[in-house]
Amino acid sequence: MNKQNQKKSGMPIAIIAIVLLLVVGGGIYLVTTGKQGTPPKANTSTSNTAKTPGIPANAPLGAQPPNQAGSPTASVTVEEFADFQCGSCAAANPIMSEIKSAYGSRIRFIFRNYPLSIPAHDKAYDAAVTAEAAGMQGKFWEMQNQLFTNQQNWTSNPNYKQLWNEYAQKLGLDLAKLQSDIAGIAAKGRVDADLQRGRALNVNSTPTVYINGVSVPFTEMKVDSLKRIIDAELEKAASSAPAAKPAAENTNK
Amino acid sequence: MSGPDATLIDEVNTHGWLPATAAILALVGIADSVYLTAHHYTAEPVPCSIIEGCEQVLTSGYAEIAGIPLAAFGAAAYFAAFSFALLTAYGYSNLWRLFGAQATIMAIFSGWLVYVQGAVIGAFCQFCLLSAITSFSLFAIYLFSWFRGRRTAN
Repeated sequence: MNKQNQKKSGMPIAIIAIVLLLVVGGGIYLVTTGKQGTPPKANTSTSNTAKTPGIPANAPLGAQPPNQAGSPTASVTVEEFADFQCGSCAAANPIMSEIKSAYGSRIRFIFRNYPLSIPAHDKAYDAAVTAEAAGMQGKFWEMQNQLFTNQQNWTSNPNYKQLWNEYAQKLGLDLAKLQSDIAGIAAKGRVDADLQRGRALNVNSTPTVYINGVSVPFTEMKVDSLKRIIDAELEKAASSAPAAKPAAENTNK
Repeated sequence: MSGPDATLIDEVNTHGWLPATAAILALVGIADSVYLTAHHYTAEPVPCSIIEGCEQVLTSGYAEIAGIPLAAFGAAAYFAAFSFALLTAYGYSNLWRLFGAQATIMAIFSGWLVYVQGAVIGAFCQFCLLSAITSFSLFAIYLFSWFRGRRTAN
């Protein structure tokens, strides 16, 4: 007992107070540095180019023709790999829609199916196949939008395929053809082709976006940041175009 | 005092390394929980990842209670466990039982969280698993001291 009494002192209280200070101080430090630690917004185009690997020329092409909007000959290509069960992809969907409508034919926008093989995304592959099957009736983007907009509703619903059918009906799709295309190999083949391309590019998270072959950091997945990168690419293309044209003409001669 | 309670306290007094180890482990839990709490407040929406399920767990509906991140409750619980263990190590042996109650509640709650990750969310977060291991270890230390105390009593 003597030993016990000898041990009793103000020391543990002091240690507890120090730990409490460290916990509170450390927490505040982590929160403030975390907020400051987001990548700088300026000069994103060059920093992206320096930090991220581009798309290798021999990478599989993915589904052909791809699900694309804008102009196939535009100087700037935005390529998105997304998963219909990914919450961040659903959050990115309105951003991508805004980019598509803001730039129209000045860019080529490509959507790639990249359903992740993880238990939490057990319906993602089927959703991608369904979107592709809708695409066979010319309604890929409409179905893509339905799947992302209503993600919360169907992702936890055991009758999710019933909900998909309702979306298809709303879009005026031929349900019998949709079901037959879902069961067929063409739609699955397109999803698999996109997956193959994504895997070759080492895409390991969704959404992953490439702008002219350069991966965009996830923290830049905002309208303003994407516009800044696209504008820089458009500018680059415009400034190199007069020089490139004669060169191309020379090689043709 | 007599019976198992007294022998539990004797056991802790004799083996001071038990509460000391518990205090160090609790510090690991505090660091982990503070990191997760900070992540909750700073992280932007996170991408879905093919290699781990951490983000699915941290952005799930189970990651907060009434708008407060679960990790903040964890940090407070670990801090309490740390304080009890440290005070016990410095001779305030009666607090060891409070530590035991705290460690038991934390271990039960951690067990439920591991179940939620595996069976409900379908993804595991390594930081959450570290926290679970830490709280199970705190409980194991308490159980060890309790069983040794009983054995000494017999």
